[in-house]
Amino acid sequence: MAVATCSRTLEQEYGIPTAPISTFEFADFLSQDLRFHGVPLRVIYTSHPVVGMPGSVLRGYIEGKDPATDLTVIDEVVEALTKPVSDLEFTGDFAPVSRTGVRQTLLEPDTENNLQRLFYDRGWTDGLPVVLPTEERVAEMLIGTDRAPDEVVAEIFLHDTQEYLQFTVEMVAIVGVMAGARPEHLPVLLAVASTGHPSIPGSTTPFASMLLVNGPIRNEIEMNSGIGAFSPRRLANSVIGRAWTLLTTQWGYLRLKKQFWTSQGNPIGYNNMCVAENEERSPWGPFHVEKKFPAKESVVSIFRGWSFVNNVVGSSQRSVGQDVCIQLGALPGLFSAATLILDPLVAWHLQQNDGFQTKLDFCHWISENFKMPASQFWGTDLIHMMMAPLAEKGVEPYASWKKLPGDALIAPYNNPENINIVVVGGETSPMWKVADFGYVVSASVDKWRAKPMRDGCADGSCGLPDEP
Amino acid sequence: MATLLRSAVLNPEAYRTVRAADSDRPSKTRSFSSLAPRLDRLNGKTIYLIDTGFGGSGRFLDQVEAWFAEHVPSVTAVRRRKSGSIFRDDTTDLWEEIREKGQAAILGVAG
Repeated sequence: MAVATCSRTLEQEYGIPTAPISTFEFADFLSQDLRFHGVPLRVIYTSHPVVGMPGSVLRGYIEGKDPATDLTVIDEVVEALTKPVSDLEFTGDFAPVSRTGVRQTLLEPDTENNLQRLFYDRGWTDGLPVVLPTEERVAEMLIGTDRAPDEVVAEIFLHDTQEYLQFTVEMVAIVGVMAGARPEHLPVLLAVASTGHPSIPGSTTPFASMLLVNGPIRNEIEMNSGIGAFSPRRLANSVIGRAWTLLTTQWGYLRLKKQFWTSQGNPIGYNNMCVAENEERSPWGPFHVEKKFPAKESVVSIFRGWSFVNNVVGSSQRSVGQDVCIQLGALPGLFSAATLILDPLVAWHLQQNDGFQTKLDFCHWISENFKMPASQFWGTDLIHMMMAPLAEKGVEPYASWKKLPGDALIAPYNNPENINIVVVGGETSPMWKVADFGYVVSASVDKWRAKPMRDGCADGSCGLPDEP
Repeated sequence: MATLLRSAVLNPEAYRTVRAADSDRPSKTRSFSSLAPRLDRLNGKTIYLIDTGFGGSGRFLDQVEAWFAEHVPSVTAVRRRKSGSIFRDDTTDLWEEIREKGQAAILGVAG
Protein backbone atom coordinates (compact mmCIF):
# COMPACT_ATOMS: atom_id res chain seq x y z
CA MET A 1 0.00 0.00 0.00
CA ALA A 2 1.71 3.09 -1.31
CA VAL A 3 0.58 5.45 1.46
CA ALA A 4 2.34 3.38 4.12
CA THR A 5 5.34 2.49 1.96
CA CYS A 6 5.97 6.09 0.92
CA SER A 7 5.51 7.33 4.48
CA ARG A 8 8.10 4.86 5.72
CA THR A 9 10.56 6.08 3.13
CA LEU A 10 9.98 9.73 3.99
CA GLU A 11 10.24 9.06 7.73
CA GLN A 12 13.28 6.80 7.69
CA GLU A 13 15.33 7.88 4.70
CA TYR A 14 14.45 11.55 4.37
CA GLY A 15 13.73 12.50 8.00
CA ILE A 16 10.34 13.96 7.09
CA PRO A 17 7.46 13.54 9.56
CA THR A 18 4.36 12.23 7.85
CA ALA A 19 0.64 11.90 8.37
CA PRO A 20 -0.54 8.99 6.21
CA ILE A 21 -4.30 8.84 5.67
CA SER A 22 -6.38 5.83 4.67
CA THR A 23 -10.05 5.03 4.61
CA PHE A 24 -11.18 2.85 7.51
CA GLU A 25 -12.08 0.02 5.15
CA PHE A 26 -8.41 -0.90 4.92
CA ALA A 27 -7.53 -0.54 8.61
CA ASP A 28 -6.90 -4.24 9.18
CA PHE A 29 -4.74 -4.51 6.08
CA LEU A 30 -2.67 -1.49 7.07
CA SER A 31 -2.41 -2.71 10.64
CA GLN A 32 -0.88 -5.94 9.37
CA ASP A 33 1.44 -3.99 7.08
CA LEU A 34 2.65 -1.89 10.02
CA ARG A 35 3.15 -4.99 12.13
CA PHE A 36 5.22 -6.65 9.45
CA HIS A 37 7.47 -3.66 8.83
CA GLY A 38 7.80 -2.78 12.49
CA VAL A 39 7.52 0.94 11.81
CA PRO A 40 4.78 2.49 13.95
CA LEU A 41 3.45 5.00 11.44
CA ARG A 42 0.75 7.26 12.74
CA VAL A 43 -1.92 6.24 10.24
CA ILE A 44 -5.11 8.26 10.35
CA TYR A 45 -8.34 6.67 9.19
CA THR A 46 -11.20 8.50 7.57
CA SER A 47 -14.68 7.40 6.63
CA HIS A 48 -15.19 5.28 3.53
CA PRO A 49 -15.55 5.80 0.61
CA VAL A 50 -13.65 8.86 -0.50
CA VAL A 51 -14.01 8.34 -4.24
CA GLY A 52 -16.94 10.21 -5.75
CA MET A 53 -17.75 12.19 -2.61
CA PRO A 54 -18.49 15.93 -2.95
CA GLY A 55 -16.32 18.45 -1.15
CA SER A 56 -18.86 19.06 1.58
CA VAL A 57 -18.88 15.39 2.53
CA LEU A 58 -15.09 15.21 2.47
CA ARG A 59 -14.92 18.28 4.68
CA GLY A 60 -17.19 16.41 7.07
CA TYR A 61 -14.80 13.46 7.00
CA ILE A 62 -11.87 15.72 7.88
CA GLU A 63 -13.63 17.52 10.70
CA GLY A 64 -15.36 14.33 11.81
CA LYS A 65 -14.16 11.34 13.78
CA ASP A 66 -11.55 8.78 12.89
CA PRO A 67 -13.62 5.56 13.08
CA ALA A 68 -10.65 3.75 14.60
CA THR A 69 -10.03 6.15 17.48
CA ASP A 70 -13.09 8.39 17.76
CA LEU A 71 -10.75 11.38 17.62
CA THR A 72 -11.13 14.18 15.10
CA VAL A 73 -9.31 13.38 11.87
CA ILE A 74 -7.72 16.79 11.35
CA ASP A 75 -6.60 16.93 14.98
CA GLU A 76 -4.90 13.58 14.45
CA VAL A 77 -3.18 14.94 11.34
CA VAL A 78 -1.78 17.88 13.30
CA GLU A 79 -0.79 15.62 16.18
CA ALA A 80 0.90 13.08 13.88
CA LEU A 81 3.22 15.81 12.64
CA THR A 82 3.90 17.55 15.94
CA LYS A 83 3.52 15.20 18.90
CA PRO A 84 6.90 13.84 19.99
CA VAL A 85 7.30 10.12 19.60
CA SER A 86 7.31 8.39 22.94
CA ASP A 87 7.82 4.86 24.11
CA LEU A 88 4.37 4.95 25.62
CA GLU A 89 2.63 5.77 22.39
CA PHE A 90 2.95 2.44 20.65
CA THR A 91 2.34 -0.60 22.74
CA GLY A 92 1.27 -2.90 19.95
CA ASP A 93 3.13 -5.99 18.90
CA PHE A 94 5.07 -5.13 15.78
CA ALA A 95 6.66 -8.54 15.48
CA PRO A 96 5.98 -10.48 12.27
CA VAL A 97 2.94 -12.70 12.02
CA SER A 98 3.65 -16.17 13.36
CA ARG A 99 4.01 -18.93 10.79
CA THR A 100 1.78 -21.95 10.61
CA GLY A 101 3.65 -25.19 11.14
CA VAL A 102 3.74 -28.25 8.91
CA ARG A 103 0.25 -29.44 8.10
CA GLN A 104 -0.82 -33.05 7.96
CA THR A 105 -1.03 -34.28 4.42
CA LEU A 106 -4.06 -36.54 4.88
CA LEU A 107 -7.36 -35.33 6.22
CA GLU A 108 -9.17 -37.22 8.94
CA PRO A 109 -11.42 -39.92 7.44
CA ASP A 110 -14.99 -38.73 7.10
CA THR A 111 -18.08 -39.03 4.96
CA GLU A 112 -18.28 -37.59 1.46
CA ASN A 113 -20.73 -34.92 2.58
CA ASN A 114 -18.68 -33.89 5.58
CA LEU A 115 -15.51 -33.67 3.53
CA GLN A 116 -17.27 -31.59 0.91
CA ARG A 117 -18.42 -29.35 3.73
CA LEU A 118 -14.88 -29.20 5.12
CA PHE A 119 -13.43 -28.15 1.77
CA TYR A 120 -16.06 -25.45 1.48
CA ASP A 121 -15.65 -24.21 5.05
CA ARG A 122 -11.87 -24.03 4.71
CA GLY A 123 -12.23 -21.80 1.66
CA TRP A 124 -10.65 -24.34 -0.69
CA THR A 125 -13.43 -24.26 -3.29
CA ASP A 126 -15.07 -21.82 -5.66
CA GLY A 127 -18.38 -22.36 -3.89
CA LEU A 128 -19.27 -25.36 -6.04
CA PRO A 129 -18.80 -28.99 -4.98
CA VAL A 130 -15.41 -30.41 -5.91
CA VAL A 131 -14.08 -33.86 -6.73
CA LEU A 132 -12.42 -34.92 -3.51
CA PRO A 133 -8.67 -35.41 -4.04
CA THR A 134 -8.15 -38.94 -2.81
CA GLU A 135 -4.70 -40.49 -2.90
CA GLU A 136 -5.71 -42.65 -5.86
CA ARG A 137 -7.14 -39.79 -7.88
CA VAL A 138 -4.12 -37.58 -7.28
CA ALA A 139 -1.74 -40.41 -8.17
CA GLU A 140 -3.62 -40.92 -11.42
CA MET A 141 -3.54 -37.20 -12.14
CA LEU A 142 0.22 -37.17 -11.73
CA ILE A 143 0.52 -39.57 -14.67
CA GLY A 144 -0.02 -36.49 -16.81
CA THR A 145 3.50 -35.18 -16.15
CA ASP A 146 7.05 -36.48 -15.75
CA ARG A 147 7.83 -33.94 -13.11
CA ALA A 148 8.46 -35.01 -9.53
CA PRO A 149 5.48 -34.43 -7.26
CA ASP A 150 7.54 -32.36 -4.85
CA GLU A 151 9.03 -30.08 -7.52
CA VAL A 152 8.26 -26.46 -6.80
CA VAL A 153 6.32 -25.02 -9.72
CA ALA A 154 6.51 -21.34 -8.81
CA GLU A 155 6.33 -18.86 -5.97
CA ILE A 156 3.56 -16.42 -5.19
CA PHE A 157 4.14 -13.22 -3.24
CA LEU A 158 1.55 -12.71 -0.54
CA HIS A 159 1.05 -9.00 -0.03
CA ASP A 160 -0.79 -9.28 3.25
CA THR A 161 1.89 -11.29 5.05
CA GLN A 162 4.82 -10.19 2.87
CA GLU A 163 5.82 -13.81 2.28
CA TYR A 164 6.46 -16.06 -0.68
CA LEU A 165 4.23 -19.08 -1.07
CA GLN A 166 5.82 -22.04 -2.82
CA PHE A 167 3.64 -24.75 -4.33
CA THR A 168 4.45 -28.11 -5.79
CA VAL A 169 3.46 -30.23 -8.78
CA GLU A 170 1.44 -32.36 -6.39
CA MET A 171 -0.57 -29.37 -5.20
CA VAL A 172 -1.44 -28.50 -8.79
CA ALA A 173 -2.48 -32.13 -9.33
CA ILE A 174 -4.69 -31.99 -6.24
CA VAL A 175 -6.35 -28.85 -7.53
CA GLY A 176 -6.75 -30.47 -10.93
CA VAL A 177 -8.62 -33.37 -9.34
CA MET A 178 -10.80 -30.97 -7.38
CA ALA A 179 -11.72 -29.12 -10.57
CA GLY A 180 -12.68 -32.34 -12.35
CA ALA A 181 -9.67 -32.38 -14.67
CA ARG A 182 -8.12 -35.45 -16.28
CA PRO A 183 -4.41 -36.35 -16.32
CA GLU A 184 -4.05 -35.07 -19.88
CA HIS A 185 -5.11 -31.63 -18.65
CA LEU A 186 -2.38 -31.48 -16.02
CA PRO A 187 0.39 -30.06 -18.26
CA VAL A 188 -1.86 -27.12 -19.11
CA LEU A 189 -2.57 -26.54 -15.43
CA LEU A 190 1.12 -26.71 -14.60
CA ALA A 191 1.91 -24.22 -17.34
CA VAL A 192 -0.72 -21.84 -15.97
CA ALA A 193 0.55 -22.36 -12.43
CA SER A 194 4.14 -21.78 -13.51
CA THR A 195 3.27 -18.20 -14.45
CA GLY A 196 2.41 -17.47 -10.82
CA HIS A 197 -0.43 -15.25 -11.98
CA PRO A 198 -3.72 -15.59 -10.08
CA SER A 199 -6.97 -15.57 -11.99
CA ILE A 200 -8.37 -13.06 -9.49
CA PRO A 201 -5.70 -10.60 -8.37
CA GLY A 202 -6.02 -8.78 -5.08
CA SER A 203 -7.93 -5.61 -5.90
CA THR A 204 -11.12 -3.80 -5.06
CA THR A 205 -11.83 -3.77 -8.80
CA PRO A 206 -13.67 -6.60 -10.61
CA PHE A 207 -10.65 -8.08 -12.37
CA ALA A 208 -11.29 -10.76 -14.97
CA SER A 209 -8.83 -13.09 -16.65
CA MET A 210 -8.81 -15.08 -19.87
CA LEU A 211 -6.88 -18.24 -20.63
CA LEU A 212 -6.02 -19.04 -24.24
CA VAL A 213 -4.52 -22.34 -25.38
CA ASN A 214 -2.64 -22.71 -28.66
CA GLY A 215 -0.83 -25.56 -30.36
CA PRO A 216 -1.39 -29.30 -30.75
CA ILE A 217 -2.62 -29.95 -27.22
CA ARG A 218 -5.84 -28.08 -27.99
CA ASN A 219 -7.06 -30.94 -30.11
CA GLU A 220 -5.40 -33.71 -28.13
CA ILE A 221 -7.40 -32.80 -25.03
CA GLU A 222 -10.47 -31.85 -27.05
CA MET A 223 -10.63 -28.20 -26.19
CA ASN A 224 -13.38 -26.23 -27.85
CA SER A 225 -12.33 -23.43 -30.17
CA GLY A 226 -15.47 -23.61 -32.31
CA ILE A 227 -19.19 -23.43 -31.69
CA GLY A 228 -19.95 -22.11 -28.22
CA ALA A 229 -16.28 -22.17 -27.25
CA PHE A 230 -16.93 -19.83 -24.31
CA SER A 231 -20.12 -21.62 -23.25
CA PRO A 232 -20.31 -24.14 -20.39
CA ARG A 233 -20.21 -27.32 -22.41
CA ARG A 234 -16.79 -28.82 -23.16
CA LEU A 235 -14.98 -30.56 -20.30
CA ALA A 236 -11.44 -29.34 -20.99
CA ASN A 237 -12.44 -25.68 -21.26
CA SER A 238 -14.57 -25.90 -18.13
CA VAL A 239 -12.22 -27.74 -15.82
CA ILE A 240 -8.96 -26.07 -16.85
CA GLY A 241 -10.50 -22.65 -16.42
CA ARG A 242 -12.03 -23.64 -13.11
CA ALA A 243 -8.77 -25.13 -11.87
CA TRP A 244 -7.03 -21.78 -12.33
CA THR A 245 -9.41 -20.18 -9.84
CA LEU A 246 -9.09 -23.14 -7.46
CA LEU A 247 -5.32 -22.63 -7.65
CA THR A 248 -5.93 -18.98 -6.93
CA THR A 249 -7.86 -19.89 -3.79
CA GLN A 250 -5.01 -22.13 -2.67
CA TRP A 251 -2.60 -19.27 -3.24
CA GLY A 252 -4.64 -17.22 -0.78
CA TYR A 253 -6.10 -14.69 -3.15
CA LEU A 254 -9.67 -15.34 -2.06
CA ARG A 255 -9.11 -14.77 1.64
CA LEU A 256 -11.64 -12.10 2.52
CA LYS A 257 -10.02 -8.70 3.09
CA LYS A 258 -6.58 -10.25 3.14
CA GLN A 259 -6.10 -10.44 -0.60
CA PHE A 260 -9.74 -10.57 -1.74
CA TRP A 261 -11.18 -7.08 -1.92
CA THR A 262 -13.23 -6.94 -5.09
CA SER A 263 -16.35 -5.01 -4.19
CA GLN A 264 -18.70 -6.70 -6.67
CA GLY A 265 -16.60 -9.48 -8.10
CA ASN A 266 -16.79 -10.84 -11.62
CA PRO A 267 -18.53 -14.04 -12.78
CA ILE A 268 -15.77 -14.59 -15.32
CA GLY A 269 -13.76 -15.95 -12.38
CA TYR A 270 -15.71 -19.23 -12.44
CA ASN A 271 -13.77 -20.49 -15.46
CA ASN A 272 -11.79 -17.51 -16.71
CA MET A 273 -12.91 -17.60 -20.32
CA CYS A 274 -10.76 -20.67 -20.88
CA VAL A 275 -10.69 -21.31 -24.60
CA ALA A 276 -8.52 -22.53 -27.48
CA GLU A 277 -7.75 -20.51 -30.57
CA ASN A 278 -9.37 -21.82 -33.74
CA GLU A 279 -6.06 -21.97 -35.58
CA GLU A 280 -7.36 -24.24 -38.31
CA ARG A 281 -10.05 -21.76 -39.41
CA SER A 282 -8.10 -18.56 -38.91
CA PRO A 283 -6.72 -16.73 -41.94
CA TRP A 284 -3.91 -15.38 -39.78
CA GLY A 285 -1.10 -16.87 -37.72
CA PRO A 286 -1.87 -18.30 -34.29
CA PHE A 287 -1.47 -16.13 -31.24
CA HIS A 288 1.41 -18.03 -29.65
CA VAL A 289 3.49 -17.68 -32.84
CA GLU A 290 3.14 -13.91 -32.48
CA LYS A 291 4.75 -14.39 -29.09
CA LYS A 292 7.73 -16.17 -30.69
CA PHE A 293 6.76 -19.75 -29.87
CA PRO A 294 7.05 -22.42 -32.59
CA ALA A 295 3.72 -23.27 -34.19
CA LYS A 296 4.07 -26.89 -33.06
CA GLU A 297 4.54 -25.97 -29.44
CA SER A 298 1.57 -25.99 -27.10
CA VAL A 299 1.26 -22.78 -25.13
CA VAL A 300 -1.08 -21.09 -22.68
CA SER A 301 -1.49 -17.33 -22.74
CA ILE A 302 -2.99 -15.18 -20.02
CA PHE A 303 -4.94 -11.97 -20.50
CA ARG A 304 -6.29 -9.67 -17.84
CA GLY A 305 -8.78 -6.83 -17.70
CA TRP A 306 -12.28 -6.24 -16.45
CA SER A 307 -14.90 -6.17 -19.18
CA PHE A 308 -15.91 -7.28 -22.63
CA VAL A 309 -18.60 -6.17 -25.04
CA ASN A 310 -20.31 -8.56 -27.44
CA ASN A 311 -21.27 -7.84 -30.99
CA VAL A 312 -24.49 -9.81 -31.18
CA VAL A 313 -25.73 -9.89 -34.76
CA GLY A 314 -22.77 -9.10 -36.98
CA SER A 315 -22.26 -5.87 -38.87
CA SER A 316 -24.03 -5.03 -42.13
CA GLN A 317 -24.58 -1.28 -41.89
CA ARG A 318 -21.11 -0.32 -40.77
CA SER A 319 -17.73 -1.90 -41.28
CA VAL A 320 -16.44 -4.28 -38.63
CA GLY A 321 -13.75 -1.72 -37.86
CA GLN A 322 -16.31 1.04 -37.31
CA ASP A 323 -18.35 -1.13 -34.97
CA VAL A 324 -15.24 -2.19 -33.06
CA CYS A 325 -14.40 1.49 -32.57
CA ILE A 326 -17.86 2.17 -31.15
CA GLN A 327 -17.39 -0.70 -28.69
CA LEU A 328 -13.95 0.53 -27.68
CA GLY A 329 -15.57 3.80 -26.68
CA ALA A 330 -17.07 2.01 -23.67
CA LEU A 331 -13.66 0.84 -22.46
CA PRO A 332 -10.96 2.90 -20.74
CA GLY A 333 -8.05 2.43 -23.18
CA LEU A 334 -5.57 1.75 -20.39
CA PHE A 335 -2.07 1.52 -21.87
CA SER A 336 -3.61 0.81 -25.29
CA ALA A 337 -4.75 -2.59 -24.04
CA ALA A 338 -7.59 -4.30 -25.87
CA THR A 339 -8.31 -7.84 -26.96
CA LEU A 340 -10.56 -8.64 -29.91
CA ILE A 341 -11.97 -12.15 -30.08
CA LEU A 342 -13.17 -12.73 -33.61
CA ASP A 343 -15.20 -15.54 -35.08
CA PRO A 344 -13.36 -17.01 -38.09
CA LEU A 345 -16.05 -15.54 -40.35
CA VAL A 346 -15.11 -12.06 -39.15
CA ALA A 347 -11.40 -12.75 -39.47
CA TRP A 348 -11.84 -13.97 -43.05
CA HIS A 349 -14.03 -10.98 -43.88
CA LEU A 350 -11.38 -8.59 -42.55
CA GLN A 351 -8.67 -10.33 -44.52
CA GLN A 352 -10.44 -10.95 -47.83
CA ASN A 353 -12.81 -7.99 -48.06
CA ASP A 354 -11.17 -5.30 -45.98
CA GLY A 355 -7.57 -6.09 -46.90
CA PHE A 356 -6.05 -6.72 -43.47
CA GLN A 357 -3.46 -9.35 -44.32
CA THR A 358 -2.28 -9.79 -40.73
CA LYS A 359 -3.74 -9.28 -37.30
CA LEU A 360 -1.34 -6.41 -36.78
CA ASP A 361 -2.64 -4.65 -39.92
CA PHE A 362 -6.06 -4.46 -38.32
CA CYS A 363 -4.54 -3.37 -34.99
CA HIS A 364 -2.82 -0.49 -36.78
CA TRP A 365 -6.11 0.54 -38.37
CA ILE A 366 -7.83 0.57 -34.98
CA SER A 367 -4.96 2.48 -33.45
CA GLU A 368 -5.21 5.19 -36.08
CA ASN A 369 -8.98 5.37 -36.43
CA PHE A 370 -10.41 5.10 -32.94
CA LYS A 371 -10.69 8.56 -31.40
CA MET A 372 -11.93 9.77 -28.05
CA PRO A 373 -12.27 13.28 -26.55
CA ALA A 374 -9.36 14.02 -24.24
CA SER A 375 -11.81 14.86 -21.43
CA GLN A 376 -13.42 11.41 -21.70
CA PHE A 377 -10.02 9.73 -21.53
CA TRP A 378 -8.62 11.68 -18.60
CA GLY A 379 -11.99 11.78 -16.85
CA THR A 380 -11.92 8.03 -16.33
CA ASP A 381 -10.63 7.39 -12.81
CA LEU A 382 -8.65 4.34 -13.88
CA ILE A 383 -6.79 6.45 -16.44
CA HIS A 384 -6.31 9.24 -13.93
CA MET A 385 -4.85 6.77 -11.45
CA MET A 386 -2.61 4.81 -13.77
CA MET A 387 -1.64 7.14 -16.60
CA ALA A 388 -1.75 10.71 -15.31
CA PRO A 389 1.63 10.16 -13.56
CA LEU A 390 3.15 9.37 -16.96
CA ALA A 391 1.80 12.63 -18.35
CA GLU A 392 3.19 14.57 -15.42
CA LYS A 393 6.53 12.87 -15.91
CA GLY A 394 6.60 14.11 -19.49
CA VAL A 395 6.09 10.76 -21.19
CA GLU A 396 4.68 11.23 -24.67
CA PRO A 397 2.07 11.21 -26.05
CA TYR A 398 0.40 11.42 -22.63
CA ALA A 399 2.06 14.69 -21.66
CA SER A 400 0.77 16.33 -24.85
CA TRP A 401 -2.69 14.79 -24.47
CA LYS A 402 -2.91 16.22 -20.96
CA LYS A 403 -2.45 19.75 -22.31
CA LEU A 404 -5.19 19.45 -24.94
CA PRO A 405 -8.62 21.06 -24.57
CA GLY A 406 -11.24 18.60 -23.37
CA ASP A 407 -13.00 18.31 -26.71
CA ALA A 408 -9.81 17.58 -28.66
CA LEU A 409 -9.77 14.08 -30.10
CA ILE A 410 -6.99 11.69 -29.18
CA ALA A 411 -6.21 8.13 -30.31
CA PRO A 412 -5.82 6.32 -26.97
CA TYR A 413 -4.90 2.97 -28.55
CA ASN A 414 -1.69 4.57 -29.73
CA ASN A 415 0.30 1.37 -29.40
CA PRO A 416 -1.09 -1.21 -31.84
CA GLU A 417 1.22 -3.85 -30.38
CA ASN A 418 -0.94 -3.80 -27.24
CA ILE A 419 -4.08 -4.68 -29.16
CA ASN A 420 -4.50 -8.45 -29.24
CA ILE A 421 -6.53 -10.45 -31.72
CA VAL A 422 -7.51 -14.09 -31.26
CA VAL A 423 -9.77 -16.15 -33.50
CA VAL A 424 -12.42 -18.20 -31.72
CA GLY A 425 -15.82 -19.41 -32.86
CA GLY A 426 -17.86 -21.87 -34.84
CA GLU A 427 -18.81 -19.79 -37.89
CA THR A 428 -22.54 -19.91 -37.31
CA SER A 429 -22.56 -16.11 -37.44
CA PRO A 430 -19.93 -13.37 -37.94
CA MET A 431 -19.68 -12.09 -34.39
CA TRP A 432 -16.98 -10.89 -32.07
CA LYS A 433 -16.13 -9.66 -28.61
CA VAL A 434 -14.14 -6.57 -27.66
CA ALA A 435 -12.42 -6.70 -24.28
CA ASP A 436 -10.27 -4.32 -22.29
CA PHE A 437 -7.99 -7.24 -21.55
CA GLY A 438 -4.26 -6.77 -21.82
CA TYR A 439 -1.86 -9.56 -22.64
CA VAL A 440 0.04 -10.73 -19.55
CA VAL A 441 2.26 -13.70 -20.36
CA SER A 442 2.55 -17.01 -22.23
CA ALA A 443 3.98 -20.28 -20.96
CA SER A 444 4.97 -23.52 -22.63
CA VAL A 445 2.73 -26.50 -21.94
CA ASP A 446 5.08 -29.02 -23.54
CA LYS A 447 7.77 -28.79 -20.93
CA TRP A 448 5.27 -30.10 -18.38
CA ARG A 449 4.02 -33.03 -20.47
CA ALA A 450 4.75 -36.68 -19.79
CA LYS A 451 6.89 -38.38 -22.41
CA PRO A 452 4.22 -40.75 -23.74
CA MET A 453 2.12 -37.72 -24.62
CA ARG A 454 5.09 -36.08 -26.37
CA ASP A 455 5.64 -39.24 -28.36
CA GLY A 456 2.12 -38.86 -29.63
CA CYS A 457 3.09 -35.79 -31.70
CA ALA A 458 3.47 -36.17 -35.44
CA ASP A 459 7.26 -36.06 -35.42
CA GLY A 460 7.77 -36.99 -31.78
CA SER A 461 9.29 -33.66 -30.88
CA CYS A 462 6.28 -31.46 -30.26
CA GLY A 463 8.52 -28.59 -31.27
CA LEU A 464 10.89 -29.15 -28.36
CA PRO A 465 14.66 -29.20 -28.70
CA ASP A 466 16.41 -32.53 -28.20
CA GLU A 467 16.95 -33.40 -24.59
CA PRO A 468 20.58 -33.37 -23.44
CA MET B 1 -26.57 -43.95 7.26
CA ALA B 2 -23.57 -42.09 5.84
CA THR B 3 -20.41 -44.12 5.51
CA LEU B 4 -16.83 -43.00 5.70
CA LEU B 5 -15.09 -42.41 2.42
CA ARG B 6 -12.82 -45.38 1.83
CA SER B 7 -9.95 -43.48 0.31
CA ALA B 8 -7.80 -41.03 2.18
CA VAL B 9 -8.28 -37.44 1.04
CA LEU B 10 -5.31 -35.13 0.65
CA ASN B 11 -5.09 -31.79 2.36
CA PRO B 12 -4.46 -29.20 -0.38
CA GLU B 13 -2.81 -26.79 2.03
CA ALA B 14 -0.15 -29.32 2.96
CA TYR B 15 1.49 -28.95 -0.42
CA ARG B 16 2.44 -25.33 -0.11
CA THR B 17 5.01 -23.68 2.06
CA VAL B 18 5.85 -20.10 2.86
CA ARG B 19 9.16 -18.40 3.21
CA ALA B 20 9.75 -14.91 4.51
CA ALA B 21 10.26 -12.24 1.88
CA ASP B 22 13.02 -10.71 3.93
CA SER B 23 14.67 -13.26 6.17
CA ASP B 24 17.01 -10.61 7.53
CA ARG B 25 14.29 -8.41 8.87
CA PRO B 26 14.26 -8.02 12.62
CA SER B 27 11.92 -10.29 14.46
CA LYS B 28 11.57 -8.02 17.44
CA THR B 29 9.89 -4.70 17.85
CA ARG B 30 11.88 -1.90 16.28
CA SER B 31 12.86 1.26 18.05
CA PHE B 32 10.49 4.19 17.79
CA SER B 33 13.45 6.23 16.65
CA SER B 34 12.68 4.79 13.22
CA LEU B 35 10.21 7.66 12.86
CA ALA B 36 11.49 11.09 11.92
CA PRO B 37 11.62 13.79 14.58
CA ARG B 38 8.33 15.67 14.88
CA LEU B 39 7.90 19.41 14.35
CA ASP B 40 7.54 21.65 17.39
CA ARG B 41 4.61 23.40 15.68
CA LEU B 42 3.09 23.77 12.23
CA ASN B 43 2.99 27.57 12.10
CA GLY B 44 5.17 28.91 9.34
CA LYS B 45 6.04 25.46 8.02
CA THR B 46 5.77 24.12 4.48
CA ILE B 47 3.68 20.97 4.34
CA TYR B 48 3.44 18.85 1.22
CA LEU B 49 0.03 17.33 0.54
CA ILE B 50 0.75 14.24 -1.56
CA ASP B 51 -2.03 12.78 -3.68
CA THR B 52 -1.10 9.13 -4.06
CA GLY B 53 -3.48 8.80 -6.99
CA PHE B 54 -6.43 6.79 -5.73
CA GLY B 55 -9.84 8.03 -6.77
CA GLY B 56 -11.01 11.01 -4.72
CA SER B 57 -7.63 11.65 -3.10
CA GLY B 58 -7.20 14.98 -4.83
CA ARG B 59 -10.57 16.26 -3.68
CA PHE B 60 -9.93 15.01 -0.17
CA LEU B 61 -6.65 16.92 -0.05
CA ASP B 62 -8.45 20.00 -1.42
CA GLN B 63 -10.38 20.01 1.82
CA VAL B 64 -7.28 19.47 3.94
CA GLU B 65 -5.64 22.39 2.16
CA ALA B 66 -8.73 24.54 2.72
CA TRP B 67 -8.77 23.62 6.40
CA PHE B 68 -5.19 24.75 6.84
CA ALA B 69 -5.90 27.98 4.96
CA GLU B 70 -8.71 28.73 7.39
CA HIS B 71 -7.22 27.50 10.65
CA VAL B 72 -3.45 27.70 10.29
CA PRO B 73 -2.93 30.24 7.50
CA SER B 74 0.78 30.53 8.18
CA VAL B 75 1.21 27.00 6.84
CA THR B 76 2.33 26.85 3.24
CA ALA B 77 0.57 23.90 1.66
CA VAL B 78 2.22 22.49 -1.45
CA ARG B 79 0.14 20.13 -3.54
CA ARG B 80 1.77 17.33 -5.49
CA ARG B 81 0.62 14.20 -7.24
CA LYS B 82 2.94 11.30 -6.51
CA SER B 83 4.80 10.37 -9.65
CA GLY B 84 5.07 6.76 -10.78
CA SER B 85 2.84 3.90 -9.73
CA ILE B 86 -0.02 4.31 -7.28
CA PHE B 87 0.93 0.96 -5.77
CA ARG B 88 4.65 1.38 -5.10
CA ASP B 89 7.23 3.73 -3.71
CA ASP B 90 9.02 4.42 -6.97
CA THR B 91 9.53 8.12 -6.40
CA THR B 92 12.74 9.91 -5.55
CA ASP B 93 12.47 13.33 -7.16
CA LEU B 94 9.45 14.31 -5.10
CA TRP B 95 10.99 13.06 -1.87
CA GLU B 96 14.13 15.05 -2.63
CA GLU B 97 12.02 18.15 -3.22
CA ILE B 98 10.25 17.70 0.10
CA ARG B 99 13.54 17.29 1.91
CA GLU B 100 14.83 20.45 0.29
CA LYS B 101 11.78 22.66 0.53
CA GLY B 102 9.38 21.17 3.06
CA GLN B 103 9.17 20.14 6.67
CA ALA B 104 6.32 17.60 6.69
CA ALA B 105 4.07 15.58 4.42
CA ILE B 106 0.47 14.44 4.47
CA LEU B 107 -0.17 11.46 2.20
CA GLY B 108 -3.53 10.18 1.11
CA VAL B 109 -5.84 8.67 0.62
CA ALA B 110 -5.41 4.93 0.62
CA GLY B 111 -8.56 3.08 -0.28
